[in-house]
Amino acid sequence: MSKKVDIDTGSEGKGSHQFSAQADTQEMEERALSVFSSERNEDITALVFTLITTFVVLLFTKWMV
Amino acid sequence: MSEARNNVPLFLMGGIMIIYALIVNTGVLLPLMKSIGTHKSVDLQVTMCFIVGILGILTGIVNSIRKPQNTVLDRFFLQPMAGVLLLLSLAMLVRWYVEPWVIIGSKALKPIIGFGIYKVLNLNYVVLGLLVGVIITNTVGIPKFAASGVKTARFVLKMGVILLGARYSFAELAKLGVYSIWLVGGFVMGTVFLVLWLGNMFKQPKSMTGVLSAGMGVCGVSATVAVAPVVRAKSEEMAYTIGTILSFGIICMFVFPTVGKLVGMNPTQFGAWAGTGILNSAQVAAAALAFNAVDIATLKVAEIFNITRVLFLPIIVLVLATWFGKETGQKLNFKTVVIDKFPIFILGFLLLFLMSSMGLFSPPDHYKGKYIDFSYNDRTRITDQEWATLNDALDTGAIMGADATQMAALEDLRKQHQIAGNFDDRNNKAVFDKVGRDRMTALESILAQLKAKKIEMSKEVKGVVDHALKQVHKKSKTIVTLTDCMIWFFAFGLIGLGMQITKKAMAQAGGWPLVIGLISGVTKAVLSFFVVLWFVKEVTLK
Repeated sequence: MSKKVDIDTGSEGKGSHQFSAQADTQEMEERALSVFSSERNEDITALVFTLITTFVVLLFTKWMV
Repeated sequence: MSEARNNVPLFLMGGIMIIYALIVNTGVLLPLMKSIGTHKSVDLQVTMCFIVGILGILTGIVNSIRKPQNTVLDRFFLQPMAGVLLLLSLAMLVRWYVEPWVIIGSKALKPIIGFGIYKVLNLNYVVLGLLVGVIITNTVGIPKFAASGVKTARFVLKMGVILLGARYSFAELAKLGVYSIWLVGGFVMGTVFLVLWLGNMFKQPKSMTGVLSAGMGVCGVSATVAVAPVVRAKSEEMAYTIGTILSFGIICMFVFPTVGKLVGMNPTQFGAWAGTGILNSAQVAAAALAFNAVDIATLKVAEIFNITRVLFLPIIVLVLATWFGKETGQKLNFKTVVIDKFPIFILGFLLLFLMSSMGLFSPPDHYKGKYIDFSYNDRTRITDQEWATLNDALDTGAIMGADATQMAALEDLRKQHQIAGNFDDRNNKAVFDKVGRDRMTALESILAQLKAKKIEMSKEVKGVVDHALKQVHKKSKTIVTLTDCMIWFFAFGLIGLGMQITKKAMAQAGGWPLVIGLISGVTKAVLSFFVVLWFVKEVTLK
């Protein structure tokens, strides 16, 4: 597990966030453009939401028809 | 009280959406919707606007009576809601009004300028959404209340990319001729590596090179959108790539048919060349039709090669994800690159691609949800009245100019009341489908030659053939709905991403993408020209 540092992005931002201690400016910039504090969280949430969408679509267009 | 004032945009947008839903529900806007072809989405418009509007107002009320805190609910729902509503209303505007009007305007201009701007410039919701975002951010700027909501764009875009996987399948790839797979695969991989090498040579950022390589190698806009988050491309790099691809495609669209005619390419050769060398699907079709509007073979071959190219997207995504993990990390082993650094949302894309290939959404040999079904059932037959019309036309010899194959296909349509293989072969699906497909192609060629006035037949008989063809072309409802979701996610995400593209950011990216794109595009076009000319003689398809 890499070392993490906390950065306070203020009330206009998203509050306090953790970044990798080795994070470069690019990663900081990238996180500032997202509501998620890490790429992994963003990806997992997107995946879960999409799978739920797919399940609902399958339910109404295939399994229940 | 001041909290309530801060939430005025939420109340305002929520209110407008509910009022719009009520107006649409009364039917007042129906004539306008019919004129722009969006009347089929009335129910969707009403439901979406009601739900989103109510959600907006409820969020506004909660935000007004409760102090903002640093909870998950605040960060992911209450704070971004105003921006989400803004992006959603812009996405609705693009999907329901801007895009249809651009299509109408483009059709009106077609007789004057000779081609449809909509198709040539690919002015669909993807490009229009991006443009709307860029225009807003560079004119009025992103409103303060929307800042947090705009940050959800990349996340929503990723959801769209995952859903994109459902539109392709392995079975479709396997159905194509081995020859075309090798030819197109070679050029796709070659172009990707050429762009990566050029990017390295011109010292361009990895993110820019990665996204450009996918765009130039695979299928233009959708590849760019899919690969951008993989290589962490910035919004302006994505915009540059789309711009490069489309402008290069426009040049090709005019140059390809001229060169093809000058050197005397046959329809198959030209189809293969256009399908390999031109990046955008609409531009491939336009070039094929410009080369030969009568013989359907050119367009068919071009489309097959184009599809083959598009089907390489999942492979390229994998290759670039591995490349990007390797390039950015230090001393990474295989496990680190493939497992730790591999973007999780791409696993989602591959998962849906796999589910699609296994036939969970549609018969496994579909392409973008479309498939051909020759099986015997009532839904595939022509009507009794249509059969009587065809019967009369064949008995009286009212169809003139058709060759023996075309006449045989018509005779079989009369015999079987539908396009199908031979009844006796019904248990051997491969043979049955092959004969059915040949008959379908013959009927399609009748319509193409009718358009070119090489065949004569009445409008009624044309209607019968049209209907028979439509009956065997099926669409999976599941994939159509998943695609609709994907389109909304893309429209939302791209408007948000467009809002991150400032003039300054564009200037910083410079003109290098254009140079690299041009070099790789021209190389691919020239090389594929010689390969196709020497190696593709006749039909290469199964």
